[in-house]
Amino acid sequence: MSKGAFLIARNNGHIDYVKQAVFLAKRIKKYLNIPVTVATDSVDYLKDSFDIQVFDQIISLDYTNESNLRYFFDGALTKKTASFKNNNRASVYDLSPYDETLLMDTDYVVSNSLLKPVFNSSADFLIYKKSNDIAKVRDECEFDRISDTSVDFYWATVVYFRKTDTNRTFFNLVSHIEQEWNHYRRVYQITSSLFRNDFAFSIAIHIMNGFQSGNFAQQLPGSMMYTTDKDVLYKMTEDEMMFLIEKKDYLGEYTALKTKGQTIHVMNKQSLNRIIDEEFAND
Amino acid sequence: MTKGIVVLAQNNETDDYVEQACLLAMSLQIHNDVRISLITDDKVPEEYISLFDKIIPIPFGDSAEDSEWKVENRWKIYHASPYDETIVMDTDMLVLQNIDTWWNFLSNYEMYFTSKVLNYRGETANTDYYRKTFVENNLPNLFSGFHYFKKCEFAQEFYHWLELVVNNWETFYEQHLDSFSRPKHLSIDVCAAIVAKILDCESFITNKISKFPSFTHMKQHCQGWSSVQSSWQDQMGVYISKDGSLKIGNYLQTGVLHYTEKDFVEKSPALERYRSLVNV
Repeated sequence: MSKGAFLIARNNGHIDYVKQAVFLAKRIKKYLNIPVTVATDSVDYLKDSFDIQVFDQIISLDYTNESNLRYFFDGALTKKTASFKNNNRASVYDLSPYDETLLMDTDYVVSNSLLKPVFNSSADFLIYKKSNDIAKVRDECEFDRISDTSVDFYWATVVYFRKTDTNRTFFNLVSHIEQEWNHYRRVYQITSSLFRNDFAFSIAIHIMNGFQSGNFAQQLPGSMMYTTDKDVLYKMTEDEMMFLIEKKDYLGEYTALKTKGQTIHVMNKQSLNRIIDEEFAND
Repeated sequence: MTKGIVVLAQNNETDDYVEQACLLAMSLQIHNDVRISLITDDKVPEEYISLFDKIIPIPFGDSAEDSEWKVENRWKIYHASPYDETIVMDTDMLVLQNIDTWWNFLSNYEMYFTSKVLNYRGETANTDYYRKTFVENNLPNLFSGFHYFKKCEFAQEFYHWLELVVNNWETFYEQHLDSFSRPKHLSIDVCAAIVAKILDCESFITNKISKFPSFTHMKQHCQGWSSVQSSWQDQMGVYISKDGSLKIGNYLQTGVLHYTEKDFVEKSPALERYRSLVNV
C-alpha cells in the first residue's frame, strides 16, 4: 500500500502557493517522513524557482481563471481582494498516486509527527471537526456549524483517505456539490456565495451519513489548531513560531504568542510567505 | 400481555387535538404494527375512526372543562388504558420509525419516563430554558409527553399520587417548589416530577444513560441556535417524501418527533402525505 501527502498549489497573482508547497513538503519530509506529491498549474515556475527534489511527483493542472473573489487579510488592518483558487479539490481522489493519501492545504505548517499514525488507522476517512483558535479571545462558533441552523463544520484543510469505493463516492459528491454550489448553499442555509471546500466537505459528510449524525468521517489525531488572517506570523525557527495575535476590541493591536512543536493552520498566507522567504534566503 | 399506545385528546376553542392524534396514529401505522387507543369526548372524523383500536370516553367526567391546556384529565390515562403495557404520548407527536426495540427496553421497567430529549440534529437537547422549575428545585427531569407503564401496583400508586397532586397542584407547588420558580399554571411534567420526588423513585422510572426511548423536542430554545425566532417552522423547512421520511432542515428525523407547534398540521404536508400512505 503506497502512502504519501498530496498538496495543491495554484497561484493567484497575490499569494505564492507554490512556494508554500515547497516549504510544507520539506516539513512533511522532516516530521512525517512520507513522500509528497504536488499538483500545480505553475509547473514551469516551480521547476525554475525551487528545488524540486523534495517532491515525489509533480502533477500538472490546467490553468483556470476563477472569479471566486475573497479578502485576504494580512493582520487586522490590511487586506487584499484576490481570486480564491480552491476548486477541483475533489479531483485529488483521482490525481493522488497513493493508496493512502494525506491531503493538506499549503498553509498548514507541520511542526510535529502527530499525523504519522493515521496511515495505520482502521478508518478509511479522517478529518478534523474539533478545532482551536490559538488566540482564545475570538468567538469560535463559526466553526461549529456551516451556519446557525445547518450541519456540523469539518475542516477540509487536512484529510486522510484510502482509495475505496465509498471514498470515491464521497469525492464525486464533493465535486457535484461544487458544480451545483448555488443550489447547495441555499439548501444548507449559507448566505455567502463564496465556495469553500470546508463547506462542501461538511455537506458531503452529512449526506454520506444519511442526513444524520454518523460515523463516515472519523477524527484526525488531536485538534486543528489555527490562527486567522487577522493575526501575523512574525517569526519562525524550526518548530517554534511567534505570532502576533489580534487583541479583542483593540483593532490593530496585538499580543505576542509563541508555540513550540505545534502544527498550525496559518491563515495569514502573506505573513507565512514572508517567513518562508526569510527561511529560503537563509538556506 | 397486551400492549398499545394511548393518547388523550381534548379540543379547545382554537386547537384540534383530535386531528393531531389522528395524524400520530397514521404515522404509527407506517412503521409499526401496534395498537393505538384514543381517549376523548370529542368527535373523531368518520374516516379516521379505523386508525384506532379503541376510542374511549374520558373516565370520571371531564375535569378540564374550564381549562385551556386540558391537562387535568391526564392522571386518568392509567385507569382508561385497555392495555397491560402502555406507552402514553402527547397528541402533537409523530412516530417516524419502528419502535419494537423500545418496547423490549421498556419491558424492564414498571414505569418509564424519558428524562433526556433530543434536538432536530439528534443531539441531547439542553432544555434548561424551559425547565427552570426543574433545575432550581432539583426535580427529576421527567417528560410525561412520552412515558410507559405496566398495569401494576407501583404504577397504580404513582398515578394515584398524580391524581392527588394534579387536583391540589397549588398546595403541592407551595410545598415542593421555591416561590421564585413556581409555575403559575398546572404542568403535568412538574406534577409527575413532584410525585417521583415524593415516592423517591427516580432511579426506577428513568435512565439517564440511555439515549432511547426519547423524543425530538422542537421547542425553539432546545435546538442550539444562536438566533431564535418565535416559531421553529419559520426557521426550518419541513420536507416529507412520498415514503413518509421526514426532514427538518437538513436533518432526517427518526424516533418520535414532538413538533409542539399547533399549526404544524396545517403548515406541513404531513397530513396529506400520511393520509395517502395509510389510505384514509
